[in-house]
Parts: sequence; structure tokens; C-alpha cells
Amino acid sequence: MEQTEDINIVKDILQTILKARKTLKMYPQNNPMYIKTLEETYNKFKDFFDFKDELSFKIGQNSIFYDSEEIYHKAEKEDNLALFFFKDGLRELTFKKGLPQEELEEFLKIITLDFERETVDEDVVTLLWERDFQNIKHIVDDTVLLDIEGEDYEAKALSDSKQKVSDIEGLMKAYDEEFREEDTKEVPIISFTDKDLKILMKELENDSMNKIEKLSDILFEILYQSEELGGILEDVLRFLKNTIKFSMGQGDLKSVIQLIDRAKGLIEDPSSTEDIKKYMKLLITYPGSEEIINLLGEILDSNVKIEDDVFMDFIKLLDKRAIVPLVNVLGELKTFRVREKVINALIFLGKQDIKTLTMTLNDTRWYVVRNIINIIRKIGDRRANEYLLKSIKHEDIRVRKEVIRGLGELGGEEALQPLKERLDDIDAGVRIEAVRAIGSIGSTLAKSIILDKIDDKDFKGRDFEEKKEFYRVLSKWKDDPGIFDFLTKMLKKGFFFLRARNYEDRACAAYCLGLIGNKDALPLLYKQADSGNKLLDDLTQIAIKRIERGD
Amino acid sequence: MAIEEDKSLQKSVAEIINQLSIILKTALIHEPTNIAVRTAIEKLLPLLNPMIESEKGVTLELIGEFFYINNTRVRYALEYLLNFDFLTKELRRREAGSIIFNNLIRPADIQLFIKAFIASGLSDAPYEKMLSMMNESQNIKIDKIKKILEDRLKKIGEGEEVDTRKVIKKTYFNAVSFTKGVMNKIRSGERVDMKKAKRIVESMVDQLLEDEHLLLSLTALKDYDEYTYHHMVNVSVLSMALGLRLGLNRLALTELGLAALYHDIGKIEIPYEVLNKPSSFTDDEWKMIKKHPIWGVKAILGFGRFGSATIRSVIVSFEHHMNCDFSGYPQVKKYTELDLYSRIVALADQYDAMTSSRVYSRTPIPPDKTLSIMMEHAGTKLDALLYKFFINMVGIFPIGTLVMLNTKEIGLVYESNMAFADRPKVLIIIDDNGKSVRGPITNLSEKDDNGKYLRTVIKTLDPEKYKINLAEYFL
Repeated sequence: MEQTEDINIVKDILQTILKARKTLKMYPQNNPMYIKTLEETYNKFKDFFDFKDELSFKIGQNSIFYDSEEIYHKAEKEDNLALFFFKDGLRELTFKKGLPQEELEEFLKIITLDFERETVDEDVVTLLWERDFQNIKHIVDDTVLLDIEGEDYEAKALSDSKQKVSDIEGLMKAYDEEFREEDTKEVPIISFTDKDLKILMKELENDSMNKIEKLSDILFEILYQSEELGGILEDVLRFLKNTIKFSMGQGDLKSVIQLIDRAKGLIEDPSSTEDIKKYMKLLITYPGSEEIINLLGEILDSNVKIEDDVFMDFIKLLDKRAIVPLVNVLGELKTFRVREKVINALIFLGKQDIKTLTMTLNDTRWYVVRNIINIIRKIGDRRANEYLLKSIKHEDIRVRKEVIRGLGELGGEEALQPLKERLDDIDAGVRIEAVRAIGSIGSTLAKSIILDKIDDKDFKGRDFEEKKEFYRVLSKWKDDPGIFDFLTKMLKKGFFFLRARNYEDRACAAYCLGLIGNKDALPLLYKQADSGNKLLDDLTQIAIKRIERGD
Repeated sequence: MAIEEDKSLQKSVAEIINQLSIILKTALIHEPTNIAVRTAIEKLLPLLNPMIESEKGVTLELIGEFFYINNTRVRYALEYLLNFDFLTKELRRREAGSIIFNNLIRPADIQLFIKAFIASGLSDAPYEKMLSMMNESQNIKIDKIKKILEDRLKKIGEGEEVDTRKVIKKTYFNAVSFTKGVMNKIRSGERVDMKKAKRIVESMVDQLLEDEHLLLSLTALKDYDEYTYHHMVNVSVLSMALGLRLGLNRLALTELGLAALYHDIGKIEIPYEVLNKPSSFTDDEWKMIKKHPIWGVKAILGFGRFGSATIRSVIVSFEHHMNCDFSGYPQVKKYTELDLYSRIVALADQYDAMTSSRVYSRTPIPPDKTLSIMMEHAGTKLDALLYKFFINMVGIFPIGTLVMLNTKEIGLVYESNMAFADRPKVLIIIDDNGKSVRGPITNLSEKDDNGKYLRTVIKTLDPEKYKINLAEYFL
């Protein structure tokens, strides 16, 4: 390759790296753009390595050089690749022939990190060092790490040290005294045995285990000595909170549970000082804080596996203060399977304080409100009715349906009037849920409401399926002679107008009689079985069969 | 994927060395034609031949303490430690540094190698014997061991290439300077950057992996004005070197090095006058000193970032004076055993403190005597097994020990010898005529034509007593 051509190719590679940096930041790993860009970048390197064995970039503050030619310059700090490397002391970056695509991808991932914003515990040099790339080498200047300006510590230490010259006379004296000097106590040569190595292997194996427990042990030991140490409780509380936060971030709920159990133990321990008890009481509320619950949400949405029983043990540490943050998390969760976990947690906590839970019905996200209502339904506490009723006119149909279902399950006469109003809801699905809920309440008043609605002149005009559902609900009062009479009358009823609608009503009545299963209805049903209207005939036949079989 | 491949390659090469060692060990017990030897050879060939085929030959080389295969260093494999040690020792004994496998190997080639190996072990000129016997083989050759220290010194003398010693000194003093900066920052309430500390330690890990002796030799110098900072760095270096012997990987070594670097950070809370008091401490002062592990916990957790390196550092700060039998401080109520890193750092800390002049006892103790004292505590206060590894690392005569040789020469131990702990490399400072000299560096494992050692340590001397400034010789 000619030198100019060479430089142009390297410039092109650098531009490809810059492009890849942007693309990899924007797209997930499985996105076609991500894959295409990665392959493109890799191919550029591959082509270069057909002619050369390595590609070395020298890094300046705002420039990148290849073969002493500046191939990149940017004066602004923002998005400056040279500065990105330079500030951490990176001075040279060399890619070697044989660079595999996986290694290049790892490298590109590092340079896409935003070290200013992201919570990365390492700088770019450490990340390169930790990856231990086989085909990407780097040279750094570590003096950027030193803060003591104007002091050349090495030169000073060396000069000070060398000034203390050896005492040659002393040395000669040592030589003269050689055999009068007492021998040192001999240290025997100790060789390793297989047993030693086995013990060591075990040690190293154990050492890889969680260190959070150890850290907690230490912090509690400091607590025990806090009186002697004076004024350290505030710090220990902060450190214990950080330990909880760290554990949560790792998905290590077990450690949090253990730590809180120990704190509770201290609160109950009569030998604990009042100060310790006070701080421990503050600590045990921390797992329920918004900060920790948000971390719980993040970890649930990640791939970290949390056993159901461990999760519930963690939830048992919480009190009503965790309800609102948990509801917020519920609204943010991206993974369906973990939503159920949080719902179960809220059922558990809601049982302890239904009022706090119902307060979250004001949430602006319809799906959150629907979930809360679902949770209230599962809790089954009638005290929640009052709050459910407030949401019965919620603008979202799905929420209204859920509220109605809840009211139906929790029962109570006070729910009937609002439910009755929903029988005229704009949405047929809501109306169906309302009649079902009224049926679930099952009182005399409930029955009257349904009968009144069926009697209503507008009812006839509703869809057949809706009407059928009203009649199905009526079948709940199967032992009520009034209902039987109502249905037989309806079945016999004749109309001059709206004949089709009339047949629908009669078919519904036949269907309901079938559900009730009273054999007294059979003669009438036999008569109607040949009406010539297909709908009525079909449903009558079904009813007859059902009664005859005794279903 | 590439990293996985690298790991798998590392495993294969480690297995080759292990299997070769097994063959030679077995051959020392049985005849080379014995079934046990033959079975061991059969196991080696499928490991070795595919590599010879794909790489067009394999060179196994012993450089310093490490094996290299085709110029790639073979990472430390703990499960193979004994066999690695055996092979190192036996190759050194024969002064053979390289085994070159040129072509695909047949069992007969290995049989010949075994014969040469055994015969050379009995010869007065082992290398020459082995070389002459191996000349019969087309497929396996040997080469003499490289004297890396001498090569390196030669390089420095000629000003060629990178001056390794200079680079290592820079790394060491950067670490001390950084530690001083950290302590100043804590004093003035500034935030301490854990990222920078990691970088400093990573540089030290690199140097240790490259050549641990050079960095270790710098820890032997104790006569600095700023003892505290040097002590922190020395403990870090010694701990990492021990960790390296235990087979810790680079990331684990970094965490260990960081934890060791910060082990005494709690001393920041102790007033300067107390810490540097020329006389013994009062009871109250001792009480204060004994709190520094707890102040250390507070300081480290106050850095802000909370990660696994921070947790390790906290544990080590709290436990490094507790002793394995819990006889130390702080006293604890409900506690299990000490962490592995704490036990490592405790050894390094005691060793460096006792061999230094600015600790509670005030009088530095020569390195070999320090090891004797520590040995008395191995199994009670100190971990017995780790102590074994520690001795193995620093040698019976650690770097900086002033030794008298049977040749009436006086020298300073310059580099320890993993294979022969009592036969380090020594820098002669008084020759056999009683003249003060600087060099040569002599290897105590060297023998004369009759197979007798040329030099042997007959006793150690106290450099402090004779006002020997090690810096003059090591810097």
C-alpha cells in the first residue's frame, strides 16, 4: 500500500469506528443495524490486515494519529473520541492481525459507554485491562492518576533514600565479626502436600461466595461497639442502608432479609441501647422505601432469577409504606411474568392496609388502576367498596369492567344502585359485567333491578347476546317462583310489532328456563319447540334437553 | 468467544506441562518401559501432537518462575501446582530451560527424553549430558536455561529496549504517591476515586505477572521518610504476590491488591503525634490504635461507590489485626472465620511491619528472623497453610536479607528462588578478600564441576545493625 492510500484506509476505519460507536449505542444487540454495522467494521479491519500486521493509533488530547499523520481532530469536548481515551491516560491503541469479531465487538461496547452519566465503576483503561484482549493492546500514562501536583515523588524518595549512604566501616565490622555472630534461627523448607492443595482449593471455592453477609457481620459488630466508638451510629445506619441497596442491585434478597432480621433482633434485644433500637427501627423501614422498591422493579425486569419464596419473604419485611412504590413499579414493569409477583406482593400488603392500596386507584395509568382493582378483588375486603365505587365511572372501559367485577364479588347492597346505573352504560361489555355483578350480589333488590331492566322498553332493542346474559343471570334465582312465572309469561308473550325482537326475548326466556331446570316448564317448552323461528326453536330444544337430562 | 478459546488453549498447554511432569515423576520410580510410564506417555501425545501439528512445532520454555509455550505465558494452574513445581525444579537442576518439539512425537521420542532426563540427574554436568543424549533425537531438542536477570541487567547497561526496572520503579512510586494523595484527600474531606486506585493496582498486577521479583525487591527497602504510604503499597505488593502463588486471576488480584492497599487507611484518624511517637504507647494510645480497623471501615465505606472491591477492602480493614484465633483486635461478639484476603494481608502486613523501622516495636527485624517469628504464630494467629505459601514466595532468605556465604563473601539477597528456597540469587557486596564491591549477582544454586554448590549461606546478618542502606543496591 502507498502511504497516502494507507492513511486514507486508516481514516476510513476510524470513521467506521465512530459510526459503529453511535449505532451500537442506539440499537440492541439483535437488531439488524447493530449486526450490519459490526460486520462492516470488522470487514474494514480484516481488509487492512490483508496488507499489514497491526494498526496502531496514537492518542493526543484532541487528535488521533496514525503513522504521525493526524487522522482525527475535534476541538469540542463533546463526543470527542480522542479526549475520551486521552483523559484516562490512554496513549496508544493497537489492533493486531487475527482480531476476532467478538473481541472487536467487546471493544466497541466499551467505547459506547457514557462514563459521565452511567454508573460504571471503572474507567476505559480498566475495562480494556479487565477484558485482557489478545489482539487489542494499549499503552497508558499512569501519571494522570496522581493528584499531587508539582511533586515528583519518585525522584524525591530516591534522592532521600540514597543520601543515607551505607556505613562501609559497619560493613567491614560485620565482615570481621562474621564467626562471632549468632546464627539465625533456621526456617525449614516446607513442601506442599496434596492435602494442602485440596484445602487451598476448598478455600478458593468458598472465597467466591457472597461477601455481603460478612460485611453485615462487620457492621453489626461495629454497632455492638458503638457506645465505645461514639457518634458512629449515623454512619453505620448509612452503611447498612448502602448494603441493602447494593444487595438489591445484585438481586440478593436473601442478604437483605438476613440483615433486617438481625436488625429486628437488636430491637427486641433488651440489652440493646435505646439509640441502637432507634436506628434499627429506621433501618427496617428502608427496604420498603421508593429507592429500594424501584431497585426491586429493575431486578425483577432483568434476567436475575428470584425464587418465589425468597421474594415473598422479602415482601413480608415491608409495611404499608411500600404499597405506593410497589404500585408505581407495577406500572413500570416490562415483563408480564413478574407482574404477577408484584400483584401477589400487593395482595399481601393490601390485606394489612386496604386504605393505602385504594388510594392508588387515582393513578393516571388505566392498566395500573385495573390491576389495583384486581388486587382488591383478590383481597376480598368489603371495606374497599367505598373506594371501588369511586372508580365505577372511570373513563376507561377496562377499568369500569374491573370495578364492576370487584363490586360483584365483594357484594353489598350499597353497590346495587351504582351497578344499576351501569346497566345503561354506553358499552355493552360494561352492561354485561354490571348485570353479572348484580347477579352475584343476589339479593331481592338485585333481582328486582334486573327484572325492571328487562321490562324496560329500551331493553328489547339491545343485542341478543346481552339480553341472553341478563336472562342467564336471572337463573340464579331458580327457586324463586316469581322468576319462573315471569319467564313462562315471557315465553308465551305475543307481539304485533317487532316480531324478531319478540322471538329473541322468548328465546332468552326458554334458555333461562333450561338453566333453572324446573320440569314444570317442559310442557310449555314442548309447545314452543316448533314455533317456526329458528332461534326460539333452537334454544327451546337446548332447554328441553337440559331439563330432561337434569343438568 | 475469543476469550473462551484463550481459556481453553491455556488449559491445554497447562495439561501438557502437567502430563510431562507426571511422566518424569513416574519414570523416576519405574523403568521407562513400565506400563505406568507408557500409559502416561499415551496420555501426553494426544495433547501435544495436535498442537505441534497446527503450530508447526512447540517450544516449552522456562523463564523465571513461569512456563511459556511458543512465547505465550502459561497461566498459573493451581491443580497442577505440585507438578509444575516438580518440573521447574528438575529442569533448573539440569539447567535446561527449553524443550523444543519439532515434529510429531512418538512414544520412542519421549522414552529417549526420559532416559536423558534420568541420566542427566546423576551427572556432574547435567545439561551437557542431557544435550548430548538428546542429539540423537530429530523430534525433541533442548536448550539451556536463560538467565533472565543477567539478560535484563545487560539490557539496562546498554540502554536498550525498555528498562524494565525503571518501569517497575515508576509503578511502585506512583502507587506510593497515589496512596499519599488518597490519605491527604480523606484528611481534607475530599472524595476518593476508587477508579484511580484500581488503575494503580492493575499496573502493579501487570508488573507482578511480568516479573514479580523486581517489584518485590522494592518492598525490601524500608528506609523511607514516609513509612505509612510505603507500608500500604508494600503490603499490597506482597499480598498480590502471595495471591499470585495461590492462583488468583488478574481480577481477583486487583481486588486483593486494593484491599491490601487500604488495609491501614483507618490510621488516618490517629493523631500524627501518636502514630509517630518515639516511645511506647500509653494504654489510651493503644486503645486508639486498636480502633483503626473500624475507622478504616468507615473511611472506605465513605468513598461513596459501593461495589465488590469496596466490600473486600472493608473486610480486610476490619479483620487484618484480628488473628485467626481471634486473639487480636477488634474483639467481636458473633463472628465466623476470617476472610481469605484478610489472612493473606495479615501475613504481608506483619512481615512488612516487622522488617520496617517505623512500627510499634521501632526496631526492624531482619527478614529471615521475621519469618522465624511468624512461624511461631503459624497455625494460631496466622494461617499455617498461607504461611507455607508465603515462605515459598519470599524464600527462606527473602530479598534484602544480608547473608554471609561459605566463601567468606557477604551479599544481599537479590532474587528468591522458587525451586530452591534456600538458594536465592545474591548480590555480592564484600568479596572474599574483604573488599567492598558491587556485584556480581550470583546464583546460589550454581554448582562446580564436582556437583558441589559454589556458594552456600552460612548465616544471616542484620543490615540495620551494620547500617547497610539497601536503597544503594536496589534502586
